Amino acid sequence: MNASSLPSKTISTGYRFADWAVIAVTVVALLAGWLTKNSVESRSIPFEGSGISAQTPQGWLMTSAQGNEILHVTDPLSSGFGSTYIIQNIPVAADSTVGQAVSLLTLERGQALTAYRILEQKQVTVFGQAAYEVGYVFVESNPNLTHNEIPNIVRGLDYIFLNGDHAIVATYWADEKAFESDLGRFQRFLNSLKF
Amino acid sequence: MPDQVCCVCGDPASSMIGKRWFCGKHSQSATRERPHTWRNSILLVVGLVVFAGIVYLLDLVLHPALTGTGLILAGVLLALVPAFIWLVFFYLQDRLEPEPKGYILGVFLLGALLASAIGIPLVDNIFHVSKWIYADTATTILGSILVVGFIQEFLKYAAVRYSVYPSAEFDEATDGVIYATAAGLGYATVLNIQFVIANGGVALGSSVIRMVVVALAQASFAGITGYFLGRAKFEKKAWWWMPAGLTLAAVGNGLFNWLRGLIVQRGVSLTSASTNPWMGLVFATVVALFTLGLILWLIHRNIRTALAEKEIGA
Repeated sequence: MNASSLPSKTISTGYRFADWAVIAVTVVALLAGWLTKNSVESRSIPFEGSGISAQTPQGWLMTSAQGNEILHVTDPLSSGFGSTYIIQNIPVAADSTVGQAVSLLTLERGQALTAYRILEQKQVTVFGQAAYEVGYVFVESNPNLTHNEIPNIVRGLDYIFLNGDHAIVATYWADEKAFESDLGRFQRFLNSLKF
Repeated sequence: MPDQVCCVCGDPASSMIGKRWFCGKHSQSATRERPHTWRNSILLVVGLVVFAGIVYLLDLVLHPALTGTGLILAGVLLALVPAFIWLVFFYLQDRLEPEPKGYILGVFLLGALLASAIGIPLVDNIFHVSKWIYADTATTILGSILVVGFIQEFLKYAAVRYSVYPSAEFDEATDGVIYATAAGLGYATVLNIQFVIANGGVALGSSVIRMVVVALAQASFAGITGYFLGRAKFEKKAWWWMPAGLTLAAVGNGLFNWLRGLIVQRGVSLTSASTNPWMGLVFATVVALFTLGLILWLIHRNIRTALAEKEIGA
């Protein structure tokens, strides 16, 4: 008899069912794991400031807001560049158009961010609100010259909403490797934005 | 016993060991004992401790700054040596009719392949475990068991179940443990190589001890699944038997990961940025050693039963 063949009596007849039971138990465990992951990632804490409210992810580091920023939170567990959400409340002229607000923001970004390049821009509707979406990329490197780290390539996404004499900008920055996978969580954050 | 056939080759059977029938040739090979098993096993463990000690001292004295090819080579060497020693250690425990070395090596490689092709990408790139698992203690335990534990243990189970399990060489319950530990060590080798490379070769001294413990733990938890697999092949078991074995191994694996992660996390303080890998390793080692003891006890109980039944048969 060939060494790789199996005498039919050596495997108990119910074992094929047990095979499927093992796969089923593993799938159920992984589904439960996925639910746990989603439950942890949807945990949030309320934020309110300057008439704007949002649900920010729980466990993220809140850094001091600069300039027109009213919220700046970063995921401490991200690898590479930490995923970041920023809300800005920029004063604009009462009769400004979204295009003007976008131009202003683009100029600011171009001056502040290294190798800033716009990838795409379009008018969109975000959860029922008219907005302008700008997708871009920039490079983030440690300003300390003694650090021998490779700079991070960061992808960004701005949503610009006009609200009277202010433009509200919701920003998402993430390491290019994590951008797509973390986008869903940012969209939940965006959905919670009220002004 | 005219209707009985050998469970290994299918020829007419002449004797029964446990609930299995064997022909004369396979009855003899299934109960042939290997001498000096304990002495050789202890020598292997001593060798492993000496290896870890030498690497630790070299790191302490030389502080090697490894990059590129040197780093990868060091990672492969540090991962392979403990895995190889544990592989021989578990192989020696199968005192009755050792398994073909080619099969053991094949299952080891299959475990490694499944880890790098499915296990690690699933844990890191699909579940993004490192991003959420440390949110709180309950999440860490649940994530360690449901995601990390089940993925790792299922792949080690699959490496045995869908390769050597139907073969005639898998001819005693203990073989399940032997092959599963080989798959576990293959899996551990890939995890350890990934660990060295991801950390840029930092702190090789403490890393080598971590690798020894991870290899032991991965092998031991796989051994639990292997024990259930082995018995399921030769005894009539209920449908829940094998899922229960896999769940038990996944829970042990998850608790091991949780204990190690928890203590390392607590080692970070506001006044010190360094982690304390030793405390985590001590707790994780206790869990791994307990599981190893359980596996060894199960293996030797199987062997004693087989030998006693042969004497009764004679």
